[in-house]
Amino acid sequence: MGYIELHGVTKRYSNGFEALRDLNVEFGAGSMTFLTGHSGAGKSTFLRMLLRLEDVTRGQLLVNGVNVTQLSKRQLPFYRRHIGAVFQDHHLLAGRSVFDNVATPLRVIGMPEKDIARRVRAALQRVGLLAKEKLLPLYLSTGEQQRVGIARAVVNRPRILLADEPTGNLDPDLSRDIMALFEQFNQVGTTVIVASHDRELIEASGRRIIELAAGRIVSDTPAMSVDMAVCDAPISTEEQWRAQGI
Amino acid sequence: MPRGSENPFPDDDAATRGGWGRDHLRVIRDSAHFVSANLGTSLLVWLLVGIALALPAGLYLLERNLQDLSAAWDGRPGLSIYMDLGIDVAEVETLKTRLAAQAHVASVLVTLPDAALREFQAYSGLGDTLDMLSGNPLPASLRVILDSDAGASDLEALAALAGASPGVHEVVEEKTWLARVKDISTIVRRLSMVLAVLFGVGAVLVTASSVRLAIEARLEELRVQKLVGATDAQIRRPFLYFGAIYGAGGALVALMLISTTLLFIEGPLTSLFSSYGSELQLIGFDPAFLVVLLVLGGVLGVLGAVLSASQRIVALEIH
Ligand SMILES: Nc1ncnc2c1ncn2[C@@H]1O[C@H](COP(=O)(O)OP(=O)(O)O)[C@@H](O)[C@H]1O
Ligand SMILES: [Mg+2]
Repeated sequence: MGYIELHGVTKRYSNGFEALRDLNVEFGAGSMTFLTGHSGAGKSTFLRMLLRLEDVTRGQLLVNGVNVTQLSKRQLPFYRRHIGAVFQDHHLLAGRSVFDNVATPLRVIGMPEKDIARRVRAALQRVGLLAKEKLLPLYLSTGEQQRVGIARAVVNRPRILLADEPTGNLDPDLSRDIMALFEQFNQVGTTVIVASHDRELIEASGRRIIELAAGRIVSDTPAMSVDMAVCDAPISTEEQWRAQGI
Repeated sequence: MPRGSENPFPDDDAATRGGWGRDHLRVIRDSAHFVSANLGTSLLVWLLVGIALALPAGLYLLERNLQDLSAAWDGRPGLSIYMDLGIDVAEVETLKTRLAAQAHVASVLVTLPDAALREFQAYSGLGDTLDMLSGNPLPASLRVILDSDAGASDLEALAALAGASPGVHEVVEEKTWLARVKDISTIVRRLSMVLAVLFGVGAVLVTASSVRLAIEARLEELRVQKLVGATDAQIRRPFLYFGAIYGAGGALVALMLISTTLLFIEGPLTSLFSSYGSELQLIGFDPAFLVVLLVLGGVLGVLGAVLSASQRIVALEIH
């Protein structure tokens, strides 16, 4: 049984456009998968749907055995607290320091400030930005801003980590650094899905690649080696994140 | 695991116990920071809300004092009727009977010229001097006292009736100004109720629109909070505090406006009251009034915030 399962999932936008059509696919616990396809193929829609930023029009979306299409408005925030999300335009708050940006998810769950400080610094250390915690995002390079976004996504020890074009406007070296971070966070058992149209980068990774075209899955290439598939690895636990320092 | 509709990740965060109280503390700190960082706007909002609250609150105080004044006045409204000199006692008695039969008349006292003279002699200390007068220079008079239900119009009607009676030289309405106080206080009360509603709505709208501006200014932050799992209640919370701060701050401004006004009119008011033989004693501007106005301001502010936060935050889209 997959950790994330889609059964006949269709997403139709309010204007009648079907961005995802009858998807049937599973993601193992602790797996890392790339989602690829041309612009407009439906990658962003797929990730937004997993976050329940979009409603599912038809079909079942199971996460850890629970049909999340049926989560109520009240339950939704609590579901989202366990999913880390990274966007291409990173959604950082321009008026807040790097530290405050990363601390947002922890403040939302009402963690005491002294625990927040420890966790935020651990996450910033992981992405190599500990020295810049007091700066405003404005004073960081694009690659650094993206890494702040990643630190914010992992600071609450998510079970699932989603990233939409996280290397979108980075040069190849920086892109590789970012990918290395996702692999690192995948090692604690977090289920990672990264949408990217950078074929070169994702093929070099040797991970599972799902290709979308016009809202359908046109190919599903398994990981190149067994240890890269890590299907049914234990899902992330407190201890495993702690081993990462977070 | 059962395939129900419950959260796939049962909440297991022991670290976040007590988070609700912490969230409130954080939000209060945040709101205070926001209000002081936007001090110009905040002052403007406080002034607007303050003016909106000051008028009905001030009228309320005025009405209470007028009511107190008319209740404290022990003399009831009445008439003094002076008859022509040398008139027949029987005619005075006839008028007395007629007046006593009218509605709202509590009693009619007759003072005949002899009695009036004796009274005057005793009162003035001019006894011997007045003895030297050849006749009694004082007229017979009647004092009509109305019951407490009588209004100014009853007094007028009675005065007209007495004035038209034969043998009546002059009719003097007593304390007509104070008799009108009751009517005035009724008008003021109704006026202040209408104004309270109108200006209360005004205060709500002022806070609603300034909270709306605060929301628009922080839209990006709200989106991020929603993305990382903030509940609608959490996202709304700072704006309810804004509303309370704006409303209560406005009430404080209203209190300052009222007390300044009171200081400003105290002089002329004191002299006005003393000319009517009454001592100025303002009531109602007490701690209970302050507390009620502050709470009322806060409640109106929160109402305004709820009004604008609710639809905007539910409709928050994350792109
Ligand atoms: N809110 C929306 N309403 C209507 N159509 C949309 C909306 N969002 C995306 N689409 C359409 O859905 C398709 C898939 O979009 P998207 O998921 O963003 O693709 P990708 O991320 O692969 O580029 C596109 O054709 C896009 O125009
Ligand atoms: Mg996209």
